[in-house]
Amino acid sequence: MTLAARLPPLFVLAVMLHTAVLPQFRVAGVAPDLLLLLGIAAGIAAGPDRGAIVGFTAGLLADCFLQTPFGLSALTYSLVGYAVGMFQTTILHAALWIPVTTAVVASALGVVLFAVTGAVVGQAHLLSNRLVTVVLVVSLVNGLLFLFVARPVRWATTADLAPGLVLR
Amino acid sequence: MILLVLTSVTVITLDFRGPGGVIGAVRSGAADVLSPVRGAADTVFGPVSDAFSGITGYGALEDENDVLWRRIEELEGDRLRAEDAEAELKALLRVNRLDRFTDLPSVSARVVGSPISNFEQTIQLDRGSDHGIGEDMPVVTGTGLIGRVVDVSGTRSIVRLITDPSSSVGVRLSRSGVLGVLEGVGPDRLLDLGLVDLETDVRERELLVTSGVDDSFFPGGIPVGRVRRATSTEGELQQDIAVAPVVDLGRLRFVKVIQTGSP
Repeated sequence: MTLAARLPPLFVLAVMLHTAVLPQFRVAGVAPDLLLLLGIAAGIAAGPDRGAIVGFTAGLLADCFLQTPFGLSALTYSLVGYAVGMFQTTILHAALWIPVTTAVVASALGVVLFAVTGAVVGQAHLLSNRLVTVVLVVSLVNGLLFLFVARPVRWATTADLAPGLVLR
Repeated sequence: MILLVLTSVTVITLDFRGPGGVIGAVRSGAADVLSPVRGAADTVFGPVSDAFSGITGYGALEDENDVLWRRIEELEGDRLRAEDAEAELKALLRVNRLDRFTDLPSVSARVVGSPISNFEQTIQLDRGSDHGIGEDMPVVTGTGLIGRVVDVSGTRSIVRLITDPSSSVGVRLSRSGVLGVLEGVGPDRLLDLGLVDLETDVRERELLVTSGVDDSFFPGGIPVGRVRRATSTEGELQQDIAVAPVVDLGRLRFVKVIQTGSP
């Protein structure tokens, strides 16, 4: 099965979970950001280019349901996916805690980048005291969710890569 | 990567050029497609979510229950006293040929979606332009104002709550009649009332209603909040006033959209 056949069902399932299920389970009023995690997991599994593409697509899907400027999530998620992919190519992958910690830190950076970029384009209200709570909850819960998301994302994003090129 | 960044910036720029167009259609279409899924998930996971909230906040629920029982007794007394005043007000308005917001046409809708974003305070309703709802229409419950419609498709609409940090409502203090602007600062936080000078006598629990001034999205007289505290600091030009919404925005089930103007 090719990349083009594997990615769409992954996005459809992620959007359904992100918009309909996960908002029901909030910690301190904050829901995890599955679509941001998709780009991060893709960067970890398949490198910077695919991390950026998956992050961009997931961000565009997220923008469909937000009132913030369309493209803001796409911009930030793709940058995070790319950065994670660049970082992952330079470190060892033997231990599980490394990608989990990467997902936690990248999620925190993704939320901050979204808020800062949003403020630059006129959404000043994104930079408030609440940002600290959002960063903490999203990063920690995303770190937990990464354990469940990593495998399907690796399956979808490394379909056409030679086994030696897949980051495990 | 550069191509993706440029594409994102282009899309953001296009979105800033105004509402509607391709981007508006994409947003409406996506929301329409996902609306039944969100409704079904709400039905399936709602009880699980309630149980999750109950487990994490059991002590607070017991305290809240005691407070609510006391409030019911107080409100029953208020209701009896209000009946007479209501009749007098109706007669006065009729004589002066004035409308109240309760007399305006409205559409009832069910809340089918909680906020998706962690930065926005919005809810989704199961009614849209097919049912006569349009952008900027005020949304209320039996108690008072909750927000206004900011996005509409055929079968659903998005309401920005008054607690959203980008929300502002023109209000009037019920005792003094002084006007101010009520701004949201995020969920579970008190609203911020601005533009009230230091000389104005503002009391705790004083009611705020929509001002209904020209160019306002909201008709006048809709209850919005009650003053929780008001402090004056020397050297400041206005008071620091915190306001609690009259409606519990965390437990919205059914709301009314007031049809001000045509959609």
